[in-house]
Amino acid sequence: TPAKPQTVLSDVLLSRPRLHDLVREVDPSEQLDEEVEEILVSLADEFVENTVNAACLLAKHRKATTVEVKDVQLHLERNWNMWTPGFGTDELRP
Amino acid sequence: GTQIRSVKDELFLHAGPLHQKIKQILAKHGLDEPPNSDVAAMISHATQERLKDIIEKLAVISEHRQDMLKL
Repeated sequence: TPAKPQTVLSDVLLSRPRLHDLVREVDPSEQLDEEVEEILVSLADEFVENTVNAACLLAKHRKATTVEVKDVQLHLERNWNMWTPGFGTDELRP
Repeated sequence: GTQIRSVKDELFLHAGPLHQKIKQILAKHGLDEPPNSDVAAMISHATQERLKDIIEKLAVISEHRQDMLKL
């Protein structure tokens, strides 16, 4: 039996249409080369892997059995200086 | 019982493969699967922000390069 298209795409985290939408959002006149798109797609992959790994280490450090939003958040804040509000862990911070 | 469902915003990354990947990495660390999809949603959002930042920078660099050619 022929493979379903879904199984072919099963490990693709970021689709080209999504990437195009984002590019259009940033700058409607911007055009990306095919090679640049490829790099961005693999960069997204790498980012996800690194982030999940880092969150795992933080979760283990606080002796938890699973990863929570706060683990991801801590990593993003400390390593990427990325502040991500609206994920249920909002606290007033200085 | 009654199930309450809300319409979730569509994720930037493909939900299926993303959950799969998260599950895989967590298993490697001997951790359980997260009880809900909040972690996946946050990672998807962060990835979008990361790429957005890069694309913005690329736009500036490429504009700069075009300007140089005009000189």
